[in-house]
Amino acid sequence: MPRDLVSGLFWLAVAIFAAVQGISLKLGSLSRPGPGFFPFWGGVVLGLLSVVLIVGSLRREAPRLRMRPESAKPLVVVAALLGYLLLLESLGFVAVTFLFLLLLFRLERRGWAFSAVSAGVGAFASHVLFQLWLKTQLPTGPFGF
Amino acid sequence: MEIFQGVLGGFQVALQPINLLYCFVGVFIGTLVGVLPGLGPAAAIALLLPSTFAASPVSAIIMLAGIYYGAMYGGSTTSILVNIPGEAASVVTCLDGHAMARQGRAGAALGIAAFGSFIAGTLSVVLLTFLAPFLARVTLSFGPPEYFALMVLGLTLLTYFARESMVKALMMAAVGLLCGTVGQDTISGRFRFAFGIRTLEDGLGLVPVIMGLFGISEVLLNLETREEQQEIFAPPTTGLLPTREDWRASTLPILRGSVLGFFLGILPGAGAIIASFASYAVQKRASRHPERFGTGAIEGVAGHEAANNAAAGGAFIPLLTLGIPANAVMAILLGALMIHGLQPGPLLVKQAPDVFWGIITSMYIGNAMLLVLNLPLIPMWARLLRVPYAIMFPFILLFCLIGAYSVGNNVGDGLVMWIFGIVGYLLKKFDYEGAPLILAMVIGPMMEEALRQSLILSTGSFGIFVARPITAGFLLVSAFLLVLPLLRRGVRISQV
Repeated sequence: MPRDLVSGLFWLAVAIFAAVQGISLKLGSLSRPGPGFFPFWGGVVLGLLSVVLIVGSLRREAPRLRMRPESAKPLVVVAALLGYLLLLESLGFVAVTFLFLLLLFRLERRGWAFSAVSAGVGAFASHVLFQLWLKTQLPTGPFGF
Repeated sequence: MEIFQGVLGGFQVALQPINLLYCFVGVFIGTLVGVLPGLGPAAAIALLLPSTFAASPVSAIIMLAGIYYGAMYGGSTTSILVNIPGEAASVVTCLDGHAMARQGRAGAALGIAAFGSFIAGTLSVVLLTFLAPFLARVTLSFGPPEYFALMVLGLTLLTYFARESMVKALMMAAVGLLCGTVGQDTISGRFRFAFGIRTLEDGLGLVPVIMGLFGISEVLLNLETREEQQEIFAPPTTGLLPTREDWRASTLPILRGSVLGFFLGILPGAGAIIASFASYAVQKRASRHPERFGTGAIEGVAGHEAANNAAAGGAFIPLLTLGIPANAVMAILLGALMIHGLQPGPLLVKQAPDVFWGIITSMYIGNAMLLVLNLPLIPMWARLLRVPYAIMFPFILLFCLIGAYSVGNNVGDGLVMWIFGIVGYLLKKFDYEGAPLILAMVIGPMMEEALRQSLILSTGSFGIFVARPITAGFLLVSAFLLVLPLLRRGVRISQV
């Protein structure tokens, strides 16, 4: 499938959604534009542009979509980031940071010992930097840090 | 006279020890961010914004501004020694800078980059000093229609300069405008696109969105493509001072780059990246030896470094005189000013002259600090570049997580960053650019308000945008820029 067709269809869906939301938010009149006025017309413009892109992508020489990702690493990182955010408030900043760093160092095939020590140092250093020094409000876990 | 007093007052503010310290910290972090590839000034400023809440507004902005122009200096070091742009605006410096390093002239390249940056940075602050108060007086008469037209022009310019397709850039601008409508409508008070989620009811936070689009997604892309070991040239300890020959070749390009960069920097949407590319084209055309470019010409390094530093100065003009950010970094600074209780715009120079002049004069001091800081510290920065990416990227991600969380002390902003990180990654994969999205998202709410107020003023007639000369002029130029690529394509087809 052409690459621009995929992204074009996606944005067309977003555009239709925005325009429909705009109508339900009330467009108002031209002399008194309502809260839905801007989302509606923004959606219309995005939709028209998407159609232009889609039509252009139907040419034969348009670049195709490569289905196979080059590496699984981004996927692991995306999952790690989500895990960090979901566990942050229950486990506390230092513990989650340690686990997060450990996982990512291991991802780049560093040894267990090296990863564990670096993650420990990293977690402790960011604790000192952000919580003790900059006084950033970060959640403390059940262990008191 | 008024300017003279302003500058004097500004130096009184900027020279206070605490502000000197903030300025130093700012330019130091800025250089660091510039040297490190994969962490841009926008993400860095977003990250450090929460740590300035305790400082006075002037100190905070002085530091954040320092990060921005400091990054322009730092970026050249990485370009020259490693052939990777340390930050986006120094892509062009790679061409001649790295070629010079290959010929064993890394010292001269680093030296002229620092001096060129200093001269251009200082020149652009001089221009800023004289132009900003003048423009603030002019824009005082701007009403909602003028603001709306100017913002349309800014968005059009940004999409016109898009490196990929203009249709895609316009789409990104439209998506950005839609993102800007998330949250409470300022006029009617209704929630839009919030779906009962607390984080969305306050609107999409600029900091998490920027860190997602420019920080997280950058790391994801680097993880895929990065080769482990890169050739890093040993930093030279001598020969940093350019010779008389070098100066002769570089003086004119530096001056050209400065003026060009400054004026491109002023245009909302243009910015340092476009300035450095435009400078390359202009310098090559103006040079008597265009064939030298790309083979290690010192005038190449000097000119582009001058252009991107001057653009960094110019970018402050729309922020300080109109309250309109020219690029993503200025958008965060705008947010920072508002968080600190200041309203950027034509009234800033009257209402808070200490802030207005304090920021401008601090840039003279910051540029001088950077020159002194940069040359002796180059060996240290070079050593930093040897830290493997495998060690660096987990910390970049961690800083983004902490930054997003600490904006509002809730996980919601972190999730927004997470989503925009994925979005940014996919956008790059599908050849879209993030810059129009960010600019549109920031000015979207202002644009909407200006449009709706204009229509209320004119009782529903779009004639209000044509009847006023300034408004009509801005819109005419925008329309011309939109049509121009179509015309060019038409010519090309008819030639075939």
